[in-house]
Amino acid sequence: MIEYDELEKRMVLKLVYYGPALSGKTTNLLRLHDLLERKGRGDLMVLDTKDDRTIFFDLLPFFLVAPSGLKIKLKVYTVPGQVRHDSTRKAVLQRADGVAFIADSQLSEASNNFESFSNLEKNLAIVGLDIEEIPLVIQFNKRDLPDIIPEEDIKRVWGPSGMPVLMASALEGWGVIETFRNLAELAYQHIDKRYELKENHGLDKETFVLKLTRRPDEAGNNTVKNSIRT
Amino acid sequence: MEKKQKRAENIEYIVGAEKKIQDIITDAEVMPILKGAVKAGASSAIIADAQNKNLWTCGSHPEGSFFTETLPVYLEGEAVGKLEVAGDSKDREYLRGLSGLLIDTIHMILHTNLKRMLTTETHTTVVNKSYEELLEINRKLSISESRYRELAENLEKKVQERTEELRRAHAGMLQQEKMAAIGQLAAGVAHEINNPLGFISSNINTFSKYVSRLKDMVAFYNASLGDSRVPESVRKSSRQKWDALKLDFISSDIEELIKQSLEGAERVKKIVSDLKGFSHIDEGTEAVIDINTEIDRTLNVLTHEIPEGTEIIKDYHPLPGFKCNPALLCQVFLNIILNAIQAKKLTLKLFISTGYNNSRIVIRFSDNGRGIPEEIRSRIFEPFYTTKDVGKGTGMGLTAAYETITGYGGTIEVESRTEEGATFTITLPVKRE
Ligand SMILES: Nc1nc2c(ncn2[C@@H]2O[C@H](COP(=O)(O)OP(=O)(O)OP(=O)(O)O)[C@@H](O)[C@H]2O)c(=O)[nH]1
Ligand SMILES: Nc1ncnc2c1ncn2[C@@H]1O[C@H](COP(=O)(O)OP(=O)(O)OP(=O)(O)O)[C@@H](O)[C@H]1O
Ligand SMILES: [Mg+2]
Ligand SMILES: [Mg+2]
Repeated sequence: MIEYDELEKRMVLKLVYYGPALSGKTTNLLRLHDLLERKGRGDLMVLDTKDDRTIFFDLLPFFLVAPSGLKIKLKVYTVPGQVRHDSTRKAVLQRADGVAFIADSQLSEASNNFESFSNLEKNLAIVGLDIEEIPLVIQFNKRDLPDIIPEEDIKRVWGPSGMPVLMASALEGWGVIETFRNLAELAYQHIDKRYELKENHGLDKETFVLKLTRRPDEAGNNTVKNSIRT
Repeated sequence: MEKKQKRAENIEYIVGAEKKIQDIITDAEVMPILKGAVKAGASSAIIADAQNKNLWTCGSHPEGSFFTETLPVYLEGEAVGKLEVAGDSKDREYLRGLSGLLIDTIHMILHTNLKRMLTTETHTTVVNKSYEELLEINRKLSISESRYRELAENLEKKVQERTEELRRAHAGMLQQEKMAAIGQLAAGVAHEINNPLGFISSNINTFSKYVSRLKDMVAFYNASLGDSRVPESVRKSSRQKWDALKLDFISSDIEELIKQSLEGAERVKKIVSDLKGFSHIDEGTEAVIDINTEIDRTLNVLTHEIPEGTEIIKDYHPLPGFKCNPALLCQVFLNIILNAIQAKKLTLKLFISTGYNNSRIVIRFSDNGRGIPEEIRSRIFEPFYTTKDVGKGTGMGLTAAYETITGYGGTIEVESRTEEGATFTITLPVKRE
């Protein structure tokens, strides 16, 4: 948690999209930005890139207000995936309330995924976060490509870890919101344990998640479809 | 300079830490803009924070009828304050346009400043942290890290193991299906052959009896010819006819022919029974067998596959009975012997020995063929590994052998020198019951 000010009734949370270089972290955020309701969130801020590779981070902020008047700001970050930006990754990871690990489904990327995950474990330990405690979801992105790890294999490897594992194509726009939703749910549970969001602020999990993942026109399927295409 | 450095060291910088407007914009940046607005016709221009506290003010509130345009100031998408531009009511439209322009400018400055700050701050911390990190890395790699690494690694390994298991199981199934098919075929063939073979043998036996009666009769005639009452001419023509028909040779050959036919039939019977025995269609799945007998049986079945000039040297020792599925074990021998045949150079020399030692049966097949190059030696037991042409080898022979032998708690090993042949050694534990 970045900040909690009881007097000012303000809470600032941080979620981090982690993963190997080019796995689609920035694309995930771009998609969330395109697909989700404008109201209740800010604009995507892309902080200095070089040839489209993230050097510092990207940021997409969300806002919501609990019935108690508690203002919650949720900042979603991506880290730079390239190996050499490890220090920046640590800086971004500090005080995170949840991590989405974006893996690249392509068979050729298996070892990069593995290395990046080890790197995440290492960095969590360094910034003093317990991997057992922190909300963590796994996304296998780029499912639209050929030569990808079969879903059964993924389920077999990751299933026992108990973490939610989601299939996605950030390019085509599916699986992205589901990943975010899963992460939001876990993050809520985690925070609720300590800050009693429901008990003290009247904010339950469903509302929290719904507010974060609302689409411009929930009822109109057409609109949703169209916005995926654009 | 000194001050700056100190500050950098003390920074407890967190990416994402909340910032206020006044942290991001300086007076020097805001005031000229607000002043510009007043110059352009507004009576006052104010920027206040979210708590309505004025941060920057320029000009003064107009008297009388006036109009105020209020616009939110956004930072990271959140309204953190407001801009208020006031002026004469009649200038309403103009003031609206002016404040729009103003707020865009402020947003632009906020945005670029924030970006610059975030990047430089990140950069500074990153540089400062590196040293501490180096110190901490060793210390802080916690237990949970290694545990998770292990988990991840093990899972990866497990997937591989399972896949391998599955492949083997599948391979074993194929082999068993093949055996079942052979067994059925053998049962059919054995049945078809056994019937005619039965009457062939019994007919030849009967035939042999008839022939001996005929021979008796001929002998009787021959003796009768010696009677003085038989005219010399008849005796002479009889002898001529006898010689012309080569009945001397025939009567001595007849018995040999019959003997050979009976032997032939007997061999066919043996082959059929070996075939049946080999596929063990007569027995249940488990039986106590003599391995020496089973190897011989397998060699018999393979008679036609064994090339001419092959030398098979057997060195069998008495073995205790071994409880197993005999069909599977014969399959092992068959696969190994076939491989030896297929690896032959000029002529095949196959040395087969058996022995019993320390509660283990040891069976060894040694050939003088091309041998197995070092590089592939570890792979030959893998399912579908073959060096033979597509369609020729399935690469399942040794896999099945490995499955069967290890299934009985035994071992199968290979030694080989390229161009000098290969030796497969099987050991099987004998359980006392
Ligand atoms: N085919 C396919 N391509 C994708 C998908 N998601 C992202 N990409 C492409 O992968 C490339 C890298 O995507 P980014 O989102 O920039 O990757 P990143 O993880 O932010 O990379 P770094 O910032 O270097 O860590 C881009 O060309 C994307 O268009 C996907 O689901 N399918
Ligand atoms: N006695 C041997 N001498 C030389 N090479 C051998 C010998 N036995 C096995 N090999 C090597 O091991 C490989 C695997 O043998 P295996 O019996 O499993 O399959 P295969 O013989 O190729 O196929 P199949 O048994 O279906 O005909 C062979 O292709 C061959 O290269
Ligand atoms: Mg990126
Ligand atoms: Mg073979």
